Amino acid sequence: MTGKIGLFPVFVMCCLLQQQVLGEVRDVAALNVSLTEFDPGVPDDRSLHRDLQIFPRIREVEAKFLPFVLRETLARSGEWGAVRVVTEPDPAAEVEISGSIIRSDGEHLEIRIRAVDATGREWVDRTFSSRLALAGEERAADTGSGQAGLYEEIAHSLREARGRLDDRALRRIIETSLLRYAFELAPSAFGEYLSDDGNGLFSIERLPARNDPMLDRIERIRLTEYVITDNVDAKFRELHEEIASTYALWREYRRKSIEYDRQNARRAEDTRSDAARGSYEAVKNLYDNYKWDRVTAQEQDRLAIAFNNEVGPVVDEMEARIAELEGWVDDKYAEWHRLLEELFDIETELNRGTATAP
Amino acid sequence: MLRTRTIILLNLLIVACTPARPVIDEQMMRIDGEMPADFSGSWERDYSRGDDVNQVLRDIYYYLSRTAADRAYTTRPGPVQPSSRDMQSITALARLAELITRPQVLTISQNDQEITVDRKDDFSLLCAFYDGVAKGTESGYGTEICGWDGDQLVSHLILPDGLQVTHRFTVSRDRQQLRVVTTVSSSSARVPFTLRRFYKKFERLPPDFNCIETLSMKRVCSTGEIEL
Repeated sequence: MTGKIGLFPVFVMCCLLQQQVLGEVRDVAALNVSLTEFDPGVPDDRSLHRDLQIFPRIREVEAKFLPFVLRETLARSGEWGAVRVVTEPDPAAEVEISGSIIRSDGEHLEIRIRAVDATGREWVDRTFSSRLALAGEERAADTGSGQAGLYEEIAHSLREARGRLDDRALRRIIETSLLRYAFELAPSAFGEYLSDDGNGLFSIERLPARNDPMLDRIERIRLTEYVITDNVDAKFRELHEEIASTYALWREYRRKSIEYDRQNARRAEDTRSDAARGSYEAVKNLYDNYKWDRVTAQEQDRLAIAFNNEVGPVVDEMEARIAELEGWVDDKYAEWHRLLEELFDIETELNRGTATAP
Repeated sequence: MLRTRTIILLNLLIVACTPARPVIDEQMMRIDGEMPADFSGSWERDYSRGDDVNQVLRDIYYYLSRTAADRAYTTRPGPVQPSSRDMQSITALARLAELITRPQVLTISQNDQEITVDRKDDFSLLCAFYDGVAKGTESGYGTEICGWDGDQLVSHLILPDGLQVTHRFTVSRDRQQLRVVTTVSSSSARVPFTLRRFYKKFERLPPDFNCIETLSMKRVCSTGEIEL
């Protein structure tokens, strides 16, 4: 009884949301996509950061910023359902995309992308890379990420992977997604519908009844969680809007820095054989070659600090807000889990009582 | 002056007579716990102390004359001038040492892992320790390593053609004086060239404004807290 009263506020909130019933007619190809924050790809060994030209704090920002660019590419295509950026992996997502930044230096961008559907089927697992034109080279259109082609290529790969599945398989993904979500929340009630082959592949053993009240509750809870996820996603949008211009500047400086490196190399090459070995010109030239190389690297360090100074407060604020939202979801999730399990027990008892009644 | 001269000649003799050993060995590149000395602060050149480049050059000329005479003694007794090649090489090192040690102010920042020596018109010397082990900086143009010799910080730059630049930093007990001994050597010069520079600590005036660097707005300053 206590459990039913406790659920009431949650259900009032959920009733305001559009109901989406399992099996309701929807475009099965328009799967919902969850994009997890990328792995920044920062080695634990701090001594390598300078050698690899990795600025950890900036990589962390990129790990939040770049998934949103991909999200925009997918959403813009109109070929997918809801595309959301989330902070933590969402295994119950219809399609879950995770990424790891391998290289990002202003000129090159390399991201390893892995996409898996709710049944555990792997859609994509490969590295996408692109190179941006430097001074004197023809540049492609820049959409804020600076690497529009790379995101289009990822989107194309996802489309291709989906194209290999028929409607039945796509419908199975949607059903499995909901059942996996249901299992996480109420394992007692939904433990028998899914099986796992031990290698991460899920298959549906049987489907719950269409009018199963537990499933109805799960769907309402999921819609509530989607509201929060959309809020988190909106925070990623705000971050993108706030830092896009600064990030573009950072990339521009990084490109210039790469150009300076090449100029330094050319200068070193041009002046190498001009002076007699051991002469002042020769030794000064050797010293200057090193000096300009270091000055260029140290200027990049200075710019990285300037980037952090500018972007840091925005990112901190975003992280704090997301932590609040996720804290709320975590609390509610535990509560939902408890209440659903209690409800299941009560209803099972009732059914048993009805069945054994004279 | 005589004392300085004696020191320089002794140094030259030691360098010439001792077998080559690494300026920084593995032991020097390890620290156990805290940095052995604190160099942090702003330092301005003390012109009342330190070596005069021309005097050091004269001493080296004298030393090279003597060693050249020793070598030539069997065939032609008497004073012998060092070869023009020797003098050209050592003069080149002297000019480079003078150029490198020209900055009037050194700004040194130091924390548990890193020491950075900022110098005007030159790159900053960096000495970084990760888990107690010094990490060098390597590029196609040279290698920079550092280490501790007791409480002296040693920065060593190895460039192509055997060119090497070593800075040895020592701070006084009261942390008001800094000595930097810079040695430039080359495979084409018979002896290295060493210059000592002294610095006094000074306190920078507290700024009237709080400033930070940003990318899009460059330097942003405020009398109060900075809000971007």
